Amino acid sequence: MIKRSLILTIVLIGVLFWVVCPAKAADTVKVGVISVLSGPLAVIGNGEKWSAEMAINDFGTVLGKKIEFVARDHAYNPGIANEKAKELYEKEKVDVIIACPNSAAALAVAQQALIHKKPFISTSAGTTDLIGKRCNRYVIKWNYNDYMLATTVGLWGAEHLGKRWYTITSDYAWGHDLLKHFTAALKKKGGIHVGNDMVALKTADYSPYILKAIKAKPDVLVLLNVGKDTTNSTKAAVEFGLKKTCKIVHALLFGPNIKGAGPEVFADDYCAMSWYWKVDNPGAREYADKYLKLHGDRPHFMAAAVYSATWQYLEAVKRAGTTDPEAVIKALEGHTFRDMFANPGYIRPEDHMQVAKAFLLRAKQPEEIKEDYDYFEIVGTVPAEEAYGKPGQFGCKMKGF
Amino acid sequence: MKINSKYSLWGIILGFLFFLLFPFMTPYKALASQILIFAIFAIGYDILFGYTGLLSFGHAAFFGLGAYGTGLSLIHLSIPVPLGILIGVIISILIAFPMGYLSIRSRGIYFVMVTLAFAQLIYFIAFKWRALTGGDDGLQGVPRPALGPINLDSELVLYYFILFFFIVSVMLGIRIINSPFGKTLQCLRENEDRAKSIGYNTNRFKLISFVISAFFAGLAGGLYAVLQNFVPLLTLGLDISGDIVVITLIGGMGTLYGPIMGAMAIVFLKNLLSSYINIWPLILGLLFVVSVMTFRKGVFKELKEKFLKF
Amino acid sequence: MDFHFIFIQLFNGLILGSIYILLSLGLTVIFGTLGVVNFAHGAIYMLGAYAAYSIVTLLNINFFLAILICPIIVGIIGMLLERSLISKLYKFPHFYNLLLTFGMMFFIQDAIKIIYGPEGESFNIPQMLGGAVNLGFMIYPKYRLFVILITAFLALGVWLFIEKTKLGAIIRAGTDDSEMVDALGINISRTFTLVFGIGAALSGLAGVLSAPIQDVQPLMGMDILVETFVVVIVGGMGSIGGSVLAGLIIGELITLGVIFWPPIATSLMYILMVIILIARPRGFFGRAQFFE
Repeated sequence: MIKRSLILTIVLIGVLFWVVCPAKAADTVKVGVISVLSGPLAVIGNGEKWSAEMAINDFGTVLGKKIEFVARDHAYNPGIANEKAKELYEKEKVDVIIACPNSAAALAVAQQALIHKKPFISTSAGTTDLIGKRCNRYVIKWNYNDYMLATTVGLWGAEHLGKRWYTITSDYAWGHDLLKHFTAALKKKGGIHVGNDMVALKTADYSPYILKAIKAKPDVLVLLNVGKDTTNSTKAAVEFGLKKTCKIVHALLFGPNIKGAGPEVFADDYCAMSWYWKVDNPGAREYADKYLKLHGDRPHFMAAAVYSATWQYLEAVKRAGTTDPEAVIKALEGHTFRDMFANPGYIRPEDHMQVAKAFLLRAKQPEEIKEDYDYFEIVGTVPAEEAYGKPGQFGCKMKGF
Repeated sequence: MKINSKYSLWGIILGFLFFLLFPFMTPYKALASQILIFAIFAIGYDILFGYTGLLSFGHAAFFGLGAYGTGLSLIHLSIPVPLGILIGVIISILIAFPMGYLSIRSRGIYFVMVTLAFAQLIYFIAFKWRALTGGDDGLQGVPRPALGPINLDSELVLYYFILFFFIVSVMLGIRIINSPFGKTLQCLRENEDRAKSIGYNTNRFKLISFVISAFFAGLAGGLYAVLQNFVPLLTLGLDISGDIVVITLIGGMGTLYGPIMGAMAIVFLKNLLSSYINIWPLILGLLFVVSVMTFRKGVFKELKEKFLKF
Repeated sequence: MDFHFIFIQLFNGLILGSIYILLSLGLTVIFGTLGVVNFAHGAIYMLGAYAAYSIVTLLNINFFLAILICPIIVGIIGMLLERSLISKLYKFPHFYNLLLTFGMMFFIQDAIKIIYGPEGESFNIPQMLGGAVNLGFMIYPKYRLFVILITAFLALGVWLFIEKTKLGAIIRAGTDDSEMVDALGINISRTFTLVFGIGAALSGLAGVLSAPIQDVQPLMGMDILVETFVVVIVGGMGSIGGSVLAGLIIGELITLGVIFWPPIATSLMYILMVIILIARPRGFFGRAQFFE
């Protein structure tokens, strides 16, 4: 009786652990997405997941094969992202991983891409290390990076918005990165950096920092943060009347921030983006309309980047005639393309950065918003060479396969 | 724990076979390695929590110190992996002495809070010291240099490498628990004042127990760094501290095998559930609450006592 | 040295201090009387904020009414939790309840995530309390002033309640020796339930007051929980005066850190705690042999 229960327990555990089906049918192309699908930043991740699915549906088949899709949530946790990458490459046998916001997570997945010798297209993390000291042949960096964000806003802003700048920075790797690039861009245009505050992530009360900013009398307040930190810091700026005396510029500002707090809070603030749903690219409007119909919101630029990256990956597979990683990556290096995201876009072979021109956006006043979710107006552009800098300037030593 | 020789031999053979085949049963091999790592962590933690009765909410500090210690030494010095792991363990133990000494001055609830606070402090230091630890980017690029003819790049080979340490840990754990030292710990857990009155230097025993648990945690952390090829900052975080409490409690404190099964169940469930269900923290929270309320000894210990009377 | 500026910052630090005071009051009262380290305290704070959001934004009820209603709702939830789960574990070592509340924290947070969505909600300062008032030495937002005043009022109220009322006396007696109180014929278990409810209500109120200043999201309690523990440890577990004093000191300490040495502003509280733990392990006013 006892022995039987013991054996039963062990067999049950064994069956529980054993996952039966083979991970991937041999004649399909499998695309994997790792992103933040839970928690406060889920709006970013869900948009990315949906866009990948849309791109796959729109593309149809490639080389006569069906395209499979699988998504995993990393909950904005680099350790989990690392595990999911291993799972996707090893068990699910994906041919490519796309997306992955959070720079630490992206770096980890990049390492897994190198270990498993399969491509990773990083669309959503900002760290320039991916095209710098941690670059490798299997990683393609799409969309934006911290240098581009900070430089776009710094170059354009110093020319059009004012000379005295005060920064409030989220105190972690991403914030530090942004600050570094931003102050460099500011100096180039002769701006004056009157002060900076490092603020711990998820700080609820920004008032001490706003008070310091007021004392420094800036022309422009720069908020190098994202998500709730953006909302909280902007609200505090409004509360203490700082917004009346200076302009506000954001590193990252999303529609949901504006929708949540109300357009009055963010009105006349500036930010940089690689794409906006009203941009005049072939297919952009169709994509934005379809997204609105399917998901009840307009897509943000992270989502659009994933659509583009997925599409271009599949195109590259078509061009190369195979899913073999080396061939596909070679088909992407140095490639120029025009799609709904970049018009044109170009993938630099030196560091695998996909570049395109960058946009400056202004958040509209409530009365200016005529269409649902049309929160921004495009007020300027910065050409790709200026926004992304020189190829390889971050020290990427691209090795062979 | 009386060892009934017939069952025990049967159990050992079955167990050994199970662990040999384990990586083929999990969805991907690295998961099996991860489970063993947390099992090692849990063995040490059970010695502190289950056998000595000290609830530490800061043990992620030692897990993380082991991970960073191993990671940094493997990156900056060209040394073989076992040596890197040894360095991680040593660092973990070195910090455990002062941290344990200061924490043990507080008893009961205060001990819990103090360990939590110290762990947070270590977390902050690691966060700020970007030059050394990479801050919240984590320590990237931990290598896995081959061990002589053994190529550790293969997940399967690495699993068996970790399995070796796991078996050593289990044997060590059993040895410690069944020694006079281990018996004293249990006596201390039951009634510290009485133990003191008999003449035991309870603080010294508590400290040694604390350091022993840090040893296992550091070992687990070092192996983790090698497994992941990087050390995320969150290895020092409150989540990990909480995880090990959950694992040990749900598995069954004071049993050694309980936490091992707890590690298997929790790590696997977390991995499986998070891929398919969005609400797994809810389920985990519920499981935990149920465990505390009813199976106060933990799910597996309760099951064992009901079905397997040995 | 711009004293004017420092003074403004210190005045503003009262906000942070106020939230810490409200939270630590609840935590310390619960610990002092029941011996329960309430890990779910942060989750309860979050419930208060969500209650405010639901009542004001969804049901369109006046914010001032919400300040009265929400803590009561949260207090009732707290009492239900105490009745059904926490009270069952009083006869076991204290860490059982600690672990129970720890599990409850995850459960509550995820339940809210499922019901309301993970992204959180926006909550704006109510119209009537918007704008700023000229205090002479500075222009200060009306709402923040309001928070400071309410907290001061409440801290005094809680102290008066514990020290001067009969129920307060029972609670104090129960802290010292609950068996004796029981033997004297006073229903100590009902008192315990009430105390937990009060602690929860205080935490819920902190959540309501915080909602307009920061945004409302399911994990907002986690972040502030550890900080609250630090405040309670420094002040002394179980001491009301300690909570108030420690809340104020730590709120100001962080604010001063922001002015003078920003990189370690938030770490300062941990350093203070380590110092206190070494020099005076029971905090400012903690009692000896208290739940050890």
